[in-house]
Amino acid sequence: MLFFIEATISGLMTGVMYSLVALGFVLIFKASGIFNFAQGVLALFAGLTLVGLMEMFAVPGWLAIILTVGVMIALAWLIERLVLQHLVNQTPIILFMSTIGLAYVLEGVGDLLWGSDVKVLDIGLPQGASDLMLDRFNLYVEKLEVVAAITAAVLVTVLAVFFQKTRIGRALRAVADDHQAALSVGISLRTIWVIVWSVAGIVALVAGIMWGTKSGIQFSLSLIALKALPVLILGGFTSIPGAIVGGLIIGVGEKWAEIYVGSMVGGAIENWFAYVLALAFLLFRPQGLFGERIIERV
Amino acid sequence: MTEHRKRIGDNVLKVENITLSFGGVEALKEISFEIREHEILAIIGPNGAGKTSMLNVINGFYHPQAGTITYRGEVRSAMRPHHAAKQGIARTFQNVALFKGMSTLDNIMSGRSLRMHANFLWQMLYYGPARREETAHRRRVEEIIDFLEIQAIRRTPVGRLPYGLQKRVELARALAMEPQLLLLDEPMAGMNVEEKEDMSRFIIDVNEQFGTTIALIEHDMGVVMDISDRVVVLDYGRKLADGTPDEVRANQDVIDAYLGVPHE
Amino acid sequence: MLYREAGQFKTSYEADQAIFTIRQDRWLIVLALAVAFVIVPLVVNDYWANAILLPFLVYTMAALGLNILVGYCGQISLGTGGFMAVGAFASFKLMTAFPEMNLIIVLLLSGCVTAAVGVLFGLPSLRIKGFYLAVATLAAQFFLVWLFNKIGWFYNYNATGQITVPPREVFGFLVTGPMASPAVKYLFTLSLVVAFAMVAKNVVRGRIGRMWMAIRDMDIAAELIGVRPLHAKLSAFAFSSFYIGVAGGLIFTIYLGAVEVTEAFGIDRSFLVLFMVIIGGLGSILGSFLGAGFLVLMPILLKNVMVDWMGMAAVTAKHVEITLMGVLIILFLIVEPHGLARLWQIAKEKLRLWPFPY
Repeated sequence: MLFFIEATISGLMTGVMYSLVALGFVLIFKASGIFNFAQGVLALFAGLTLVGLMEMFAVPGWLAIILTVGVMIALAWLIERLVLQHLVNQTPIILFMSTIGLAYVLEGVGDLLWGSDVKVLDIGLPQGASDLMLDRFNLYVEKLEVVAAITAAVLVTVLAVFFQKTRIGRALRAVADDHQAALSVGISLRTIWVIVWSVAGIVALVAGIMWGTKSGIQFSLSLIALKALPVLILGGFTSIPGAIVGGLIIGVGEKWAEIYVGSMVGGAIENWFAYVLALAFLLFRPQGLFGERIIERV
Repeated sequence: MTEHRKRIGDNVLKVENITLSFGGVEALKEISFEIREHEILAIIGPNGAGKTSMLNVINGFYHPQAGTITYRGEVRSAMRPHHAAKQGIARTFQNVALFKGMSTLDNIMSGRSLRMHANFLWQMLYYGPARREETAHRRRVEEIIDFLEIQAIRRTPVGRLPYGLQKRVELARALAMEPQLLLLDEPMAGMNVEEKEDMSRFIIDVNEQFGTTIALIEHDMGVVMDISDRVVVLDYGRKLADGTPDEVRANQDVIDAYLGVPHE
Repeated sequence: MLYREAGQFKTSYEADQAIFTIRQDRWLIVLALAVAFVIVPLVVNDYWANAILLPFLVYTMAALGLNILVGYCGQISLGTGGFMAVGAFASFKLMTAFPEMNLIIVLLLSGCVTAAVGVLFGLPSLRIKGFYLAVATLAAQFFLVWLFNKIGWFYNYNATGQITVPPREVFGFLVTGPMASPAVKYLFTLSLVVAFAMVAKNVVRGRIGRMWMAIRDMDIAAELIGVRPLHAKLSAFAFSSFYIGVAGGLIFTIYLGAVEVTEAFGIDRSFLVLFMVIIGGLGSILGSFLGAGFLVLMPILLKNVMVDWMGMAAVTAKHVEITLMGVLIILFLIVEPHGLARLWQIAKEKLRLWPFPY
């Protein structure tokens, strides 16, 4: 029984990590209708920059984070200038493909700048098992994962408020709906996109920090992007709370499947279980738990 | 209006008590009317009256919550679009539902799909039955292209055509299906006077030469009065009137709806 | 001057519907085929075959298949790697179970198996589209790779999980295995690819192709003219998967000779073929050739320039290659989203006028 609870908590925590990445997706999709395949690589790039600054230039942790945020904003500006600006009004699949191209570019450049070996990231986040939980309930819970959960909760609240209440948030939603209409009411598409990609970049940084502290900054971080897809399917592409709920469900579902079904068929079910779960979901509820119903009109 | 002698037959399509709702909104409330063979029927009414929804029901895109459709004697509660197509119902759309990635010729040829049967193996070789069939249908399609005078744009991808020509290509594709009932949703929207005259001429020609029964949604009252045999008026999902153009023009309810008298 | 079509009138619908309607095009294709079938086998060596020609041909086959699904029918698929794996493993099982079976039959049967799997994983397309469908195909990709890793039956329970092709002859010539001559391998693959390309071209210019394109352009409206979406989408998946399966079979039997599933058919292969289709041109048979050629040649060219010529470390070169690939994709999408095939068309248009300005 204890094992089950531990496994569930572990699954939930992994789920939170997935959600952090999924959040970035949702932001960009909500505000530009683009499915940003490069989100995972953004997390990797942010992590690499952070570690690179700390190791190669001996910058203290807190300063490195601020500098990296700056880098991500500059990156957002560059992406808008060089890529997005030229692809206004293109079909979604073309935009999607361009983000795949972007992922490759960021991966290559990141490796060239900072090297491709695994890096350890330590900015002072608490690590190791929580003594409190261990003593009180005899449960093994990682402190880091608790921090991640709290961070995610804070992020989600901030972002949800941002989108719903502020003027910029409203503009972002307008842009997501219809580029041309937004332009015609005077919303500067370009500014909006830079803002959105910057925020997504910062979210990616947070995700990168969490994942990086847990397992080091390495290439596989970018593959998390692929895992975020099932999360989005479950939670809906346009819902911020959905990204969290979806992440939790996938995280826990994967863990349970691995433990209970995996042992029967030789393990490594985590490779594909999330996708099959998402697929099953799609067949019954294509818009996800929280997403908007897509109505096609003739 | 020119009087033309034509044999208007019995009803080919009858809708009875069709009720259609979306969520809480009732788009159509117990609508009943009939379309008679070889006639041109106009469906008119203010925006939002439910005209397109009515066509969508006949065509099988929407399934009504209540009511029946009787087509050529067969009663059914709902149709699927490709069933409707097989039964000889063809349709054009307000927003032009053409295949934008294909040329005019390919679009019209696609209208012949139901009549092309050469099996897959012959298709792979593009020989024998497949090739003969392709040529035979091409011949028919060229006749339609001549009829609608769109020879010059045969190879142009339709996405690049101006709106008026797109509408004509869409009509051509519908004609390629050799339909018995042709549903036209605002075929003249966005056209200038000359284009409307051309389109009216085409519609009348289709009706006279091929005997096709036509139901069209139209806002231009001049056109409606000129070319239609009967008119059905819808407003807020209800049927207001049903009769010849003159009868409908004199109907008080219709006048109120159009001129806007406050509803009680 | 050279490319004028003045004076060439088509006097029948058949002539108008031919694949190559301009006489100069016909000469060009005859010339290309002559070079490919006669001259190249005489001069080809191991390096050229294994590094350039064979990968070009097998990936063209895969790109043809994926182009049908994505370019002509508009259904996104990221499962190409997994389907190629099905073709490869089907070939392996057939060859080891039936040592007497002709290699061509083996490949065709593998294609059929893959087509069936393709239809199965294509079923979701009836309910979902676009990115959602892409996720469904990802499920196929990851599941299939896992399957061929875990279930020992697929690799005849050997220790490494790697499958190796047994030597096989076709018409008396050794075609598979390390002892086969590059010329034979090349000719065998070339013949298959040319035949399959012709079939693909024939199918897409007839009623089936139009049916697929109708679904791609507006599937709601396609129903209007009597197209059944179920039939159209599943047939596209079947046809496409057949080609991709044969490509996978060729990769295993002829090109690589031995494969390990995660390395040879992982998700990056799916992306690679997708890029070939996009860069080559969606909805174009010629584009499949061009895209495959481009993405096979480019890394080789880059490596030769960077490592051999500029003396860069191999690892660095790899990173530059990845970066450049990404840049090129973005560039293509911005400048010519319809790919190399469209650029070729534009070039031909210009050539028709040359040397006159207009």
